[in-house]
Amino acid sequence: MNTQNQNGYMLLYRTDEWYNRLSHEELQKLIGQNQAWFERLTAQGKAKPGRALERTGVIVSGRNGRFVTDGPFAESKEAIGGYLVLDVETIEEAIAIAQSSPGLAYGGSIEVRPMADECPLDVRARELAREEQLATV
Amino acid sequence: MNTQNQNGYMLLFRGNDWTKSLSPEEKQKVTDQWMAWFKRLTDQGKAIAGNPLEPEGKIVSGKNRVVSDGPFAESKEAIGGYFLLDVASFDDAVAIARECPGLPYGVQVEVRPVAARMSAG
Repeated sequence: MNTQNQNGYMLLYRTDEWYNRLSHEELQKLIGQNQAWFERLTAQGKAKPGRALERTGVIVSGRNGRFVTDGPFAESKEAIGGYLVLDVETIEEAIAIAQSSPGLAYGGSIEVRPMADECPLDVRARELAREEQLATV
Repeated sequence: MNTQNQNGYMLLFRGNDWTKSLSPEEKQKVTDQWMAWFKRLTDQGKAIAGNPLEPEGKIVSGKNRVVSDGPFAESKEAIGGYFLLDVASFDDAVAIARECPGLPYGVQVEVRPVAARMSAG
């Protein structure tokens, strides 16, 4: 994997609503820790504001989007609960930041993904065009 | 479901394996359509951010903060990119999702209301 990326990284929080298992006190403590964590990263210029996603929504699929189904977002371990955008240059640093996330101690996981400069579709189309060109030479 | 939301909506594009069956021309066509779609939404003030994600990455999980490779490249479920929409109703967001040029090829679009703030993962 290319470990350098000028476009930053996205942290996708995957959750099964583990926070419902915490006491009020534990939850307050964690929210405080998380806030301090995020404020430190922001002050260092490493994080941009993220957003949480509501546990509702639908999935649209099929030609012309003819299927609209309710997603089981809350119960699923895989559901995306929110995201953060990191302005750091290497995946190692992005992973280290993900590892320092206070919520991990309780459950869930964090997907660390490089943000693309160019859509992978464009890159693949160019590769295929080049292969075809080579094949005709 | 509350159909009004001042914080906007997120479209998550799922599926990273659907382009394999396309010819370079088809692929180019879908890419152009996708870019034009995003530009139109941006010009209309309906899309405020959007980005493709590289089909690679890592997953960090659990108390021990274990790092593992994700199956991002050839997965039906993997997230390939997102749009952040500034529209007021859920119906508007779904209508936009239904315009996604990748839908005929098997892309799934997850439409999620954005919450006011994130307190913890």
